Amino acid sequence: MRISRMRYFFPLGLFIALFLDGALSQVFAGVMFTSTLAIESRLVLLWVVMAACFGKIDHILLWTTLAGLVFDLYYTGIIGAFVVILPLIVYLTKLMYRFFTPSFIVVLLIYLIDITVATVISYWINLLIGFTNVSMAGFIGLSLGSTLAYNLAVFVLLYFPLQRFFESFSR
Amino acid sequence: MRGWDLVVQPFGYDAAFVFMEEIMQRFFFNKRLIIVLVVLIISFVLVAFSITVRNNKATPPLVQQMGNDAAGMVDRVVAYPVNGLKGAMGSFSDLMNTYSENQRLKGQVDSLATEKVKDQTLKRENKKLKEQLKLNKTLTDYEKISASVLTRSPSAWQNQVVISKGSLSGVKKNAAVMSKKGLVGRITEVNKTNSKVELLSTTNDSANRFATQVMTKNNKVVNGLITGYNATSNYLVMGQITVKTGMEKGDKVITSGLGGNSPKGLYVGTVAKVEEDDYGLASKVYVKPAADFTDLDVVTVAKRVD
Repeated sequence: MRISRMRYFFPLGLFIALFLDGALSQVFAGVMFTSTLAIESRLVLLWVVMAACFGKIDHILLWTTLAGLVFDLYYTGIIGAFVVILPLIVYLTKLMYRFFTPSFIVVLLIYLIDITVATVISYWINLLIGFTNVSMAGFIGLSLGSTLAYNLAVFVLLYFPLQRFFESFSR
Repeated sequence: MRGWDLVVQPFGYDAAFVFMEEIMQRFFFNKRLIIVLVVLIISFVLVAFSITVRNNKATPPLVQQMGNDAAGMVDRVVAYPVNGLKGAMGSFSDLMNTYSENQRLKGQVDSLATEKVKDQTLKRENKKLKEQLKLNKTLTDYEKISASVLTRSPSAWQNQVVISKGSLSGVKKNAAVMSKKGLVGRITEVNKTNSKVELLSTTNDSANRFATQVMTKNNKVVNGLITGYNATSNYLVMGQITVKTGMEKGDKVITSGLGGNSPKGLYVGTVAKVEEDDYGLASKVYVKPAADFTDLDVVTVAKRVD
């Protein structure tokens, strides 16, 4: 059997997306984290969702767990949040994707649900361990809205290139 | 007998099959439930573990350190082009502002030279006086370790950056971290080649507090602690004030060196307003931080030498 090149491209892109999130947050911190909004860049989620929808990838749960572990270790130091959230997103995406015929709008809606789930869970964990004391209403206004808007914009820009990429290399 | 078999067998097999299927379904449902529960428990245990390590130990476990060091190395490669882009954008905007800035700076440069000479003389005098008094180390002495900022957590709740120096360069947990303008935070996790800095703008309940003091106009000192951060106004909140006298807007706030983690004399910011509680005692001082927590390229770790 011919080995798909996706085998190398998926993990590579996964970790590049992971570290790009941090680099973008650092470079554009002045506009992404102000007193009225807090944008969480989630390129890694975009990569994972597009792969779950359009790619045929071996061990996707394993790779996403590993990426989640690196996220927790390197960015937050609180292990146990993204190591669960990322595989959960893969599972959730595949579950929802089964019921629809694939199109731009469908994947966009699935992606929005995924972002919401990931942001809410990470907020909830941080609330539990006392890293934030922002109320639910405050969280929606401060973080969720702006995060959704930013990631939506990134999705619109990168949907077609990523779709083509995953479809052409997954054959 | 055969007749009975023919009648009973299909029914019996069928019933048994349906029954088995139900059991299997229930078993698989249970299996899924068990997996979910196990994953949740593992996740909670890991969170609890990492918080304990973060609060109690000087360095994380070796495995965690190795993971962090490896991640840091990959990150340096990935972040390089992004930082290059920022550099290019920065130089463009610098070019646009150069003329007006030059005019403004010219005035300051002349006075700076005299200040510098004065500073040097005072430093020398201070050193001599210390020698005479046999004072080897005071709270104002510290070693500087400069590091560049590698990345920032893409999270709304962790105001954390990763810097490029770790225990190999002598970074210690809880050391104060400064930008060019003033105090920005403290070290929370030390790996071999990188470490994490928790910025002052964090709202974390368990964050370590900096002991600070206000230097008032009439040469009095008011001690206190940085107890929090007000995100809407971008002011640091200083509580636990010792005396309430004589603080005015614009008074300088520095670290006091008490508490053992930070040296004395690191610039924090200026007093923005003093809020009095119902009984007329000064309860909170709002401090306008000198540093911009969202614009950090190079930081200095201040390591106490005692």
